[in-house]
Amino acid sequence: MAENKRIIRVMIALCSLFFIIVVYLTFIQLFKSKSLMTNTYNRRQYKIEENTTRGNIYDRNGVLLAYNEKNGEQQERIYPFGSLYSHVIGYNSKVYGKSLIEAAYNNELLGINKYSQVFGMASSSNYPSRKGDSIYLSIDHELQSLGEELLQGKKGAVVAMDPKTGEVLALVSSPNFNPSSKELEKNWQSMVESRDAPFLSRATQGLYPPGSTFKILITAAAIEEGLENEVYSDKGSIVIDGREIRNSAGKAYGEIDLKKALAVSSNVVYAQLGVNIGMEGFGDIVQRTKFGKEIDFDIPVSASRFPYDSMSKTDLAEAAIGQGKVLVTPLHMAMLTSGIANGGVMMKPLLVKKLAGFDGKTNNDAKPGELSKIMPEDIAQKIQIMMQEAVVNGTGYNAAIQGINVAGKTGTAENDLSVEKKAKEHSWFVGFAPVEDPKIAVAVVIEYGGSGSETAAFIARDIIKKYLS
Amino acid sequence: MLGETTYRKPLYLIAVFNIMAYAFLFLSGDSYNWHIIALGTFVTLLICTVCLVIIKRNTGDEYLFLIISMLLSIGLLMISRLNKGLGIKQSIWVTVGITLFFLIYYAYIRVDKWEKFTHLYIFLPLVSYLVTLVFGKNINGAVNWISIGGFTFQPSELSKILFVFFLASYFKEPDALFLKDFRCSEKTKVVVNRLLLMFITYLNIGFLVIQRELGTAVLMFLVFLTLLYVFGRDLRTFFLNSVLIIPGIIASYVLFYHIRVRVEAWINPWTDITDKGYQISQSLFAIATGGFFGTGIGMGRPDMVPAVTTDFIFSAICEELGIFGGVAVVLLFMLFTYRGIKIILGVKNRFNKILGFGIVVMFGLQTFIIIGGVIKLIPLAGITLPFVSYGGSSLTTSFIALGIMQAISNPDIDEAGGEAYG
Repeated sequence: MAENKRIIRVMIALCSLFFIIVVYLTFIQLFKSKSLMTNTYNRRQYKIEENTTRGNIYDRNGVLLAYNEKNGEQQERIYPFGSLYSHVIGYNSKVYGKSLIEAAYNNELLGINKYSQVFGMASSSNYPSRKGDSIYLSIDHELQSLGEELLQGKKGAVVAMDPKTGEVLALVSSPNFNPSSKELEKNWQSMVESRDAPFLSRATQGLYPPGSTFKILITAAAIEEGLENEVYSDKGSIVIDGREIRNSAGKAYGEIDLKKALAVSSNVVYAQLGVNIGMEGFGDIVQRTKFGKEIDFDIPVSASRFPYDSMSKTDLAEAAIGQGKVLVTPLHMAMLTSGIANGGVMMKPLLVKKLAGFDGKTNNDAKPGELSKIMPEDIAQKIQIMMQEAVVNGTGYNAAIQGINVAGKTGTAENDLSVEKKAKEHSWFVGFAPVEDPKIAVAVVIEYGGSGSETAAFIARDIIKKYLS
Repeated sequence: MLGETTYRKPLYLIAVFNIMAYAFLFLSGDSYNWHIIALGTFVTLLICTVCLVIIKRNTGDEYLFLIISMLLSIGLLMISRLNKGLGIKQSIWVTVGITLFFLIYYAYIRVDKWEKFTHLYIFLPLVSYLVTLVFGKNINGAVNWISIGGFTFQPSELSKILFVFFLASYFKEPDALFLKDFRCSEKTKVVVNRLLLMFITYLNIGFLVIQRELGTAVLMFLVFLTLLYVFGRDLRTFFLNSVLIIPGIIASYVLFYHIRVRVEAWINPWTDITDKGYQISQSLFAIATGGFFGTGIGMGRPDMVPAVTTDFIFSAICEELGIFGGVAVVLLFMLFTYRGIKIILGVKNRFNKILGFGIVVMFGLQTFIIIGGVIKLIPLAGITLPFVSYGGSSLTTSFIALGIMQAISNPDIDEAGGEAYG
C-alpha cells in the first residue's frame, strides 16, 4: 500500500535526523571540544586549574623561568626573574587572564590533551591533582638578561636570533612589568594608563619606521634590477617632485657606487634607487619578505606595514630610505637580517624549543622550517659583504668587535616628534656575525635614541660579543 | 506478542541500572542522603510493576513502555542529581503520569468513536490559548502558563495532542470533514476543506508564536506537514504548505525580536556570549567537558548550564554520562520511533493509524528539535525532551500520548474503519 510506503519513508527520515545528531555530537567531541574546554567563559577550567600543578618553563639551557608553588590551597605562579620575561612568557592571573606563552600553551601547561579527553576522567573537577607539561624556550637566559641590562632606562627592543634555525635567542622589550599576580593586581590600572605603555611588547608588537635599515632590502631589489654597477652622484641632497631628501648632516659623497652608498647610508642614492625600482620592484620584495602578512609565531606578532595602493615618485623615494608609511616590528627586522645571513632563506621564528611531558618521557621538539625565500643566494652573499663594509668602513663602526667579522646596518628613523625637533630619531641597528658562518642575528631599536651608530650599534655589539664568547 | 523471556532481560538491566546509579549517587554525595535510596527504590519498583502489569494483563505492546522506562530512569536520575527536591517532585509527576497512562489506555479502548469529538479538538486548544493570554502567568518571558490553585500548567502541551486528534479526524476521510451536508460540487468541498484545515492549523501556530512557544509551533507545523505527506489525497497541499512557510519564516524573523535573537545566537553565539549566546555556549561547554565517557554522575558541573533540568537536560546527560550517554538517549528515541512505526504499519483502523502515527512523529520530531537545539545543530527552540526533562505538564501529556499509543497497539481493539487513498 502506498500509504505504508510513505510511513516507512517518514521513519527513515526521522532515523536519519537522529543519526545526524549522533554524527554532529561526535564532530563536536573530536574537533571542537579542545577550544570549547579552554574558552575563557567556560568556568570549569578554573576548577581544573586549581587541581593542576602548572608546568614549568625553562630557557634553552634549563634555567627555570616560571614555576608553580603551593601556597596553602592556592596555587601561585612564580617568576624568579621578575619582569625579565614579562614580554615573552607573559602572565597567568585569575583576574586578568593569561597572556603570551602562558595563554598560547595553556593546554600543554595544564596537561589537557586528546588523550585525557577520550578517557574523560581527566576533565572531571574532582580528579586528584595532576601535573602539566614543561616548556623549554629557545631563549638564552644570559643573553636575555644582558639585553634587559642594556635597555635599562631606555624604551625599545632587542631581538636576537639564530639565523640558520630561526630560534629566538633573546626577545627583550623595555619598559616591562612584574607579571606576578599580586603585583599585577596592585599596578594594573596605573600601568594601563601609563604613557610609557609597559604592556606593549615592543619587540613583537611595536611598529617603527625602519629608517636606513630598510636599505638592505632596497639593495637586494636594486641588484635584481641590474643596478649593481651603476655609479651615482651624491651632492648631499636631492629634490624629487618638489620634496627635498637630504643625507644625514647634509654630507655630500660625490661619485659613489652601491656598496659605498650602503656603507655611508646615502639617502640621496637610495631615493634615486627607489624611483628606479618603482612600485613593481617594491611590491615584489615586500611580498617575499612578508610585509602586511601575519607571521606565525608562538606569541602574537603585529604584521609589518607597507600600505601603498599606488606610489608617487616621492613615495618611492621616501619608502626607499625606510620612511613614509613603512612600519616594521623589531622581530621582523631580525628575521629579515637572519634571512640575508642565511643565504636568502628566511626561517620561521621559533620561541618554544621543546615540550617535555611531566613524566620526563614524552618530548616534542620544534622543527625549524623555512618561511620564505627572500632573495637569491648570490645576492644575499653580496649584501652580506656590503653590510660588513658598513661596519668596517661605514656608519656601523661602533658595532665592530676585535677578532670577529660583524656585518650590520644602522638606521636613524624620523618620527613625529623628531620632525618637530622635540625629540631625537629612533635609533636602529641590525646585524649578524660572524660573516663567514653567521651564528647570531640581532635587531635593536631605541626609541628617540638618536642616530643608529650612536646608541643601537653599541647594544648590538655587546649582545653579539656575549653570545660568541 | 513475543512472550516474557525476550522481555525480561532488558527489564532486569533497567532495574540494575537504576539500583547502581542511585547507590552511586548515595555514596558519592558529601553526606548520606536517605531520600536518594528511597527515591531509587520507589522508581525501580514502579517501573518493574508497570512493565509486569503490561505483560501479565496483555495490554498491547510491551516494548513501548520498556523503552520509555529507560528514558524515564535517565531523566529522573539526572534531575535528582541536579536538585534532590525536583527529583522527588518529578517522581510524583511520574506516578501521576503512569496513573493517567492506564486511565487513558482503558478510556481509549472503551470509547467507540473518537472521531465524533472533532469540534472539541478544534475549539478546546483555541479556548485554552485565549484563557492563557488573558489569565496567563509570565514565566521566563513567555506567557504560556496558567495557574490553577497553586498548580501551574502549560496548556500548549495538551493542545499538541488535541491537534493530532484533529488531524486524525480530518484525514480519516481526507477533505470531507467540513460541509458534509452542504449541496455543492465535490471540487468546492475539497477546496473549502483544505482551506479550513490550513486555517485551523495556522491559527494554532499563530497563537503559539504569540505566546513565544516557538518549539511547539515548529513541532506542530512539522507534524502537520508530515501527515499531509502521508495521508493527504494528493501532494498538492503538501507542496503548497512547504512553500508557504518560507515567507512565513522570513516574516516572523523580521517581526519578532525573540526569533531573531535565537537565530543570531545559533549562527554565532560567541560574539554575545554573556547575553544572547549565553545558554547555547554554556550548553556546548558542558557537552565538550563530558568527552566520550563523561565525567561520571555527580562529578561534572552541569549546574552551570541554565534551564538544565528542563530544556537543557541533554547537555547535563552529555557532560556526566558522556557522548555515549547522549547517543544512548538518542538511540532510545530512535528505537521508540521504530517500534511505534512498526505497530502503526499493522493497524487497520484508519483513525487509530493516523493518530498513532501523529504521536510517534511528534515524539520523534520533538526530540530532534530540542537535542538539535542544545547542541547548536539547529536554532534553539525551547521545548522539553519527552519523558526526560523535568516538568509536570510535559510529563503528564507525554504519558497521555503514550497511553493512546499503548491502546492503539492492542490488536483486540483494531477494527477496520475509514478510507485510505493513494
